[in-house]
Amino acid sequence: MSTLQQRRESRDLTENLLRSKLEAGRVRLGARWVNFVTPNAVPMVATLAMVWLATVCLVVVNSFLPLDLVPLVYMLPVVVAATQWGIVPGLVAACAGAAAADFFFYPPLYSFWLQNPQDVIDLLLFLLVATVTSNLAARLKNEAVALRRREREITELHAFSQGLAGCLTSRDLIFAVQDYLSTTLRYRAVLITTAQDAHSSDDAGVVPDEIRRRAVDMIAANAPRASIVSEPRSDGAWLVRVIAPEILGYGAIAVELGDSPGERTEAAAQRVATLLDEATLTLKHLEVKQAIEQATINYRTEVLRDALIGGVSHELRTPLASILGSCSVLHRMPAILDDRKSHDLVEAIHDQAGQLDNQIRGLLDAARISAKGIRPQRAWTDPTDIVNAALKLKERRLASHRVTLDLDRDVPLVRVDSVLVEQALGQILENAAKYSPAGSEIEVSSRREREYVVLAVKDQGSGLTTDEKGQLGRRSFRGDRHPDSASGSGLGLWIASTFITANGGTLNAESLGLNLGTTISVLLPTVSADAPALADAVND
Amino acid sequence: MTRVLVIDDEAQIRRFLRAGFELHGFSVIEAANAVDGLRAATMSKPELIILDLNLPDLEGSDVLARIRSWSNVPIIVLSIQADEQEKVRLLRLGADDYVVKPFGISELLARSDAALRRHLRSTNRDPVVKAGPLSIDLVSRTVALDGKRVQLTRKEYVLLRVLATHAGLVVTHQQLIKEIWGSHAENVQYLRILVRKLRQKVEVDPTRPLLIVSESGVGYRLDQGGSGIMGDRRGISPDKARCA
Repeated sequence: MSTLQQRRESRDLTENLLRSKLEAGRVRLGARWVNFVTPNAVPMVATLAMVWLATVCLVVVNSFLPLDLVPLVYMLPVVVAATQWGIVPGLVAACAGAAAADFFFYPPLYSFWLQNPQDVIDLLLFLLVATVTSNLAARLKNEAVALRRREREITELHAFSQGLAGCLTSRDLIFAVQDYLSTTLRYRAVLITTAQDAHSSDDAGVVPDEIRRRAVDMIAANAPRASIVSEPRSDGAWLVRVIAPEILGYGAIAVELGDSPGERTEAAAQRVATLLDEATLTLKHLEVKQAIEQATINYRTEVLRDALIGGVSHELRTPLASILGSCSVLHRMPAILDDRKSHDLVEAIHDQAGQLDNQIRGLLDAARISAKGIRPQRAWTDPTDIVNAALKLKERRLASHRVTLDLDRDVPLVRVDSVLVEQALGQILENAAKYSPAGSEIEVSSRREREYVVLAVKDQGSGLTTDEKGQLGRRSFRGDRHPDSASGSGLGLWIASTFITANGGTLNAESLGLNLGTTISVLLPTVSADAPALADAVND
Repeated sequence: MTRVLVIDDEAQIRRFLRAGFELHGFSVIEAANAVDGLRAATMSKPELIILDLNLPDLEGSDVLARIRSWSNVPIIVLSIQADEQEKVRLLRLGADDYVVKPFGISELLARSDAALRRHLRSTNRDPVVKAGPLSIDLVSRTVALDGKRVQLTRKEYVLLRVLATHAGLVVTHQQLIKEIWGSHAENVQYLRILVRKLRQKVEVDPTRPLLIVSESGVGYRLDQGGSGIMGDRRGISPDKARCA
């Protein structure tokens, strides 16, 4: 995180620096000719100084020892100027040398007139040789410069790709590209996105509206190639390129090239395109790498969760099964059967271990629901069987209460996962026993109500406030009023409600108020049956 | 003494099973893995096998299939929270019944007793099956409740007969449907309705069946009856059906 921030800060810094430099440059832009003369002024003066020096030397040497060295000596400034500053200073040196020779050394002296036809040929020959030489020297110089630049570019690009390898996210990468363009190539690079808040972002005001508009168009069109866009008002050119067109929505990068399109701009466009290609490639690698990493993480989480569920199931429930089983044996031992106290103790152990096992089952159910959801195995079921199975499941828990049954013997069949509905109803019975006083009545009923079969559990317990009724069935909800009296994880009704919902049913809670009891109803949808076929199949 | 072979890798489970079975007059042979279990099943000729499904060296269902390939000794399977389809598969593979952990010894003893009796009946050919107040004569095809003759339709009788021949043991829905309607009908809905009609004829309170008990998602069991849902503390109270 901190490196990213540093990078951003340094980016901002360079951007500000560049901004000030650019503004200074804009003043100069007004006078184009100044632009041309300024860089050439020093070489010109130096070239003329060299010609002057050569003339002085020749004058001095000639006064002692008249040798025919004139064209040779004037060739020196030509070669030096051409190799040092290029062809223009070279040609200037040649012309100046020829003029000086004519004026100072060829008769009539101190005049540009030439007396001797041989001298005319000499001078013309000198000019020709000087032109050719300066041309060659200049070309040599240019090539050396190009070579050096290319070497530098390659070094920079190498450093850049090394930098890319260190990027961890695509956003890092975009910043790296921006950094590189700004600091190394000395171009201002701005990321343009299609996002709504683009105008409030840090590039606002830097990129001319025209360029931004074009960039957005290009992003929309998913243009694969870079294109150079001129901005008519400031007369500047921008290179716009959509980043990683494969990954939509990333935006475009706009690079300010400065002057209007030309040869130099083409080269710059080429370089920018190259490094963006490089970046795109890295981005793709990055995406693949991230996808693989995500998949690996998901897989590991799944494996861990399954291992946890399996482990908890085995490591905790197996000892509990031994405890419960051993209790059941102890309970039948003559020594225990005859001793009331031991008998009660064994029963207490059995009850507590049974509750613990229930809790673990609840947690496992909750984990399964969260992990995979539930896939009910729905089949035709008699609601009466569901009620009886749930009662049997909780018979020990209900032993301290008076259970009355009001079951409709002709209640229609339902298509549900009977195991899940039994567990849900069992949980509801458990809650009824938990939140109502011992010895009170719990009424279990089944009946048909329009297109539903309703299984209801009515207790004489603490009831529900309106607030509690709203929260009922949420995961880990527990009434605040029973912090000590009733143990539980609060998962029970959530699991019950999830099981019922998975079977296409609903769980309803009604209460007349505080301490007036609660009725929890399970509504299961009925399916219209083909009655005559049914009668045919069953009769006989 | 009836010899029972307990195949379970958990020493604590074996210990309480030994105590429980010995208390009720069985002699117990233990095996901690499938290989030892298979060896003991051939060498010691047990009359009953209690097989845990979760063995370290071999799948419990493989052990079951191997024993069934040469013996019809009663086998009761122990499982932790096996899903219903798995239970049906085990029954089809030849298990006589299953008990889900955690369980009480009386539940296992009741199943063992039923399995042993069914095995005995197949050799003795005792024609009358009793379940609480109900008696089914498989030869004369008559059904009596508290000594009074009960009129059943053909399908109701087939249903009761199949349950009676497996008295105390679970019979899968598929098996019942096949016996009653032939293999073509796969509709549990018909079976549910038929069971309801039968219950109305033989149960005291058809909404609280004590004889024809449903095993969720698996099938039905003809129980000994009499054990009331509310009053009975099954799992810990002394069993009504003791081993002979």
